[in-house]
Amino acid sequence: MKRLLFYTLILALTVVSIILSIAYLTPPKVIPKYSDDKLRELALSKGLKPTPNSYEKLLELVDDTSNPMNASKIALGRELFFDTNLSKNAKTSCSTCHSFDKELKNRGAMSKMISSREEQTNNCVACHLRDQSGVDRFTFSEGDNHEPHPYLLNTQTVLNSAFAKHFTWSGEVSTLREQSKNSFLAYHKMNISAQELEQRVMKSEKYRKMFSDTFQDAITFENINRAIEVYLKTLVTRGAYDRFLEGDNSAMSSDAKRGLANFIGFGCKGCHSDISLGGQSIQRFPLRDFAQVYDLKPNFELFPEFRRFESEFPFENSGGFLGKNKEHLFRVPILRNVTKTSPYFHNGAVPKIREAVNVMAKHQLGRHLTLEQIDEIVAFLRTLEGDIVEYDVSESR
Amino acid sequence: MRTVIKILVFVMFISGVLQWKVIEMAWEDFRVIQVLHILSSIAILSLLVPFIYRHIRRYYFIKKVNSANGWALLALFVLLIMSGFYLFLIGNRGGDIVGILSFNIHLYGSFLLIVLFISHAFFTEKKLIVSVGLLFLINPQTSHSAQMLSNIEVNSTRSYHSEDWTSSAKCKSCHSEIFRQWSNSNHKHMVGSNPYYMVMETLAGEAEGDGFRKWCMGCHNPSALLNGHEKTTHDMEGNFLRDELFEKDAEKLSKDFKEQDNFRLEEGVSCVTCHRITDASSKGNASYTVTLERKKYAFEDSMAPLGHWFSEKLINSNPEAHKKSYMDPLYKESRYCASCHDESHPINGIAIVSTFKEWEKSEYNNPKDKSKHKSCIDCHMTNLKDAKLSPLRGTSTDGGVIKEDVKVHYFSGSNHFLAGLKDKKNEEQTIELLKSSAKLDVEVKDNILSVGVTNVGAGHHLPTGVADFRELWLDVEVKDRDGKVLFSSGKLKEDGNIEDGSRLFQKVFGDENGKPVGLLFWRYKTLLSDTRIAAKERRVEKFELAEDIKHPFSVSVKLNFRIYPQWTTDAVKKVFPTLPNPPVVELLEIKKEFE
Repeated sequence: MKRLLFYTLILALTVVSIILSIAYLTPPKVIPKYSDDKLRELALSKGLKPTPNSYEKLLELVDDTSNPMNASKIALGRELFFDTNLSKNAKTSCSTCHSFDKELKNRGAMSKMISSREEQTNNCVACHLRDQSGVDRFTFSEGDNHEPHPYLLNTQTVLNSAFAKHFTWSGEVSTLREQSKNSFLAYHKMNISAQELEQRVMKSEKYRKMFSDTFQDAITFENINRAIEVYLKTLVTRGAYDRFLEGDNSAMSSDAKRGLANFIGFGCKGCHSDISLGGQSIQRFPLRDFAQVYDLKPNFELFPEFRRFESEFPFENSGGFLGKNKEHLFRVPILRNVTKTSPYFHNGAVPKIREAVNVMAKHQLGRHLTLEQIDEIVAFLRTLEGDIVEYDVSESR
Repeated sequence: MRTVIKILVFVMFISGVLQWKVIEMAWEDFRVIQVLHILSSIAILSLLVPFIYRHIRRYYFIKKVNSANGWALLALFVLLIMSGFYLFLIGNRGGDIVGILSFNIHLYGSFLLIVLFISHAFFTEKKLIVSVGLLFLINPQTSHSAQMLSNIEVNSTRSYHSEDWTSSAKCKSCHSEIFRQWSNSNHKHMVGSNPYYMVMETLAGEAEGDGFRKWCMGCHNPSALLNGHEKTTHDMEGNFLRDELFEKDAEKLSKDFKEQDNFRLEEGVSCVTCHRITDASSKGNASYTVTLERKKYAFEDSMAPLGHWFSEKLINSNPEAHKKSYMDPLYKESRYCASCHDESHPINGIAIVSTFKEWEKSEYNNPKDKSKHKSCIDCHMTNLKDAKLSPLRGTSTDGGVIKEDVKVHYFSGSNHFLAGLKDKKNEEQTIELLKSSAKLDVEVKDNILSVGVTNVGAGHHLPTGVADFRELWLDVEVKDRDGKVLFSSGKLKEDGNIEDGSRLFQKVFGDENGKPVGLLFWRYKTLLSDTRIAAKERRVEKFELAEDIKHPFSVSVKLNFRIYPQWTTDAVKKVFPTLPNPPVVELLEIKKEFE
């Protein structure tokens, strides 16, 4: 009996000490320290690119012979994008959800709002219009007449979508034009039929003139969406990150540079790739099955806490959306301006960027990042913020 | 076996004594030894108890040796174990005598125990020197975690992360009453839950560029600022801005803390923000130094519930270091408060709020005569009752020492409104303070009605702070015997604003062209008017009544206060539609009949 007790004790001690030493036996991945030029070289070699700084370069990247870009078409698209008359109740425009100010340099949204006599419907605009985020900052999108999205999906940004290959959360749409059409027709978005849309556009003198200048044929549903497509392609942002990639070492802070090294080193860039840092592929989320059931929080703490997720996702499964084919397949979101587009994930269940980074690291990379690493990555993501570039389109073509 | 037991008893003794104040052990070692002492004591107990049992059986029952020394040793040992458990599970928080007794028994008893133990165990044996020598080989300085933590201390230039800002919800478990007071006070509601602030910060960013927000954030949101955030954020609830206007006791903060621990940053002025200010000057505009590096007990940062529990026990059993790291004599000085309650334009340096400077010139600043000297906390952190300062007898820690004047954390000033939406007690405290600040007198000579307003209670101007957004005015009504109004002044218009020509005590800011600045107060260049009342000053306002006024008539004068002008609230309501209108508070009323 005594001996049994003794061996049990020894065994328990051994097991406990092994568990406690796991943290030291499995050292964290060390991201090497790069010089600024090395880091830039590394980023470029991994396919990360700055956004074009001139209209000509933009055309090279995004122009499409089936719907060539030109100044009058872009101007027409811009008018259509901000026109609330193009929704059923004439209250919603594309920019209601994909919000930014029509006048890009306008700085007075808040002063305008507090001095106006009207009641506003979307109060977020007062503070966030100037963010130029291209989203409504809601948890889930609301269309014309406040119709919520059936799956309570969060609005995605239209900015920099020109560089994406897939659109919407499931990634099943492959062109901007197609998605523009969907948005007009969807009852939870603009809620308007092709016929009625054409009629409304036709009624306007301004549009009749603009269409005849731009298109050979008539005002059609197709042409409306062509114009919107080319306008969307010009909505590109540039920030400190782009300046860094182009050779300005002072553009990014040292924290942000380490964040970029982490971003590459830990493998985030595997999916959040190319110019737009996302939108290039459809991936499974969450990737790690273990994480769906148990979340070691925090890993290897002296007193670990086990938390069980009762959900499909490592956050609340509001809306019940399960991705493409209900197989947890999602388009990789565009990370440019991500710090301005909270809340996060398809149903907006994660309110803060640090929490989102943590979820991604844990469930996609299977890593438990240190708080410092998370903050560095967030500092890097901040350098992806940028204002919409005002390309000089007038003289071209 | 016996040698092992002897060594273990000495280990417990030494590891205990090392925690003694007199030893002045380095903190990094202290916090490790504290844990080792407790954990090893529990482990050692499991060895000692069977040993003692066998020892007594062998010597007393079998060999029939009766050692008085041995029995004393046993009694003392039991006493030490009991006091040890009490210290660990309940603690020495200062409020209960058992805790204090346990601490002293545990500390001094251990010396007696070791003397008794030596005489009992080594009286006949000569292994004493060997054993003591062995003990000194155990060097506590080689602990791994101690080294790791001391590295952090060296690296003092690092930027702070959210986990450095220990959530105020953590303090709640032992300081529940103080937490409750603070959670409904204005110091808690300076950022996301304060609609006026959110509008103003955005407006400042819009008008002056986003970088300008940092000026606001220095005092309003130091945690976000020092973590490198560029603006203040707010919570969402679905598609709506979370309405925190009516939320009591910071429920969301406690919920966040439960789910996220410190992972989600607590924005605004939290417990540690003020209680980790290590230096401050009266310059204003956030002229303080925050040092979050502090003495933390083992497992204080643990995210696991068991770790939380354990660290609390460690603090309670010996709270000396905890107390020291959150209290500083500086906190009683006015310059500490001045670091934020004086405010000037960050670029041109024009003074905007000068509460501290007003106090400095007042007779309340009298460091030579302690009986006449009154610092900020003597009024603003002292309990009030019936418009009088009435120090509260109680504790600041649950189960702690009874203090004659617990510094309450209502932070009563003038903003009764936002605090009052959450908790009536908080509102009451502020209104009591406001009522204690002034006195009214009234006189009629010929046809001139003179109203005297004396600033009797405030150690600064009345009103102070953002006096451009405070409304303190006289509401005057003269009636004849039939109740017909002969004269009136200071009534509200239909739109809620005060009628023109009323007598307000305030300052009005103008821009460089002499136009009122409205909401953009930082554009202040010229002072258009300043009718505030300095400390102890009596201001007389004269109202001209009709020349042929017939006696008898009655005069009723009220001193009214409103925290924000209606036009300001109207602007904020455009963005925060659920915001109610702040009420007009009647501070004083005087009625007089003139025969």
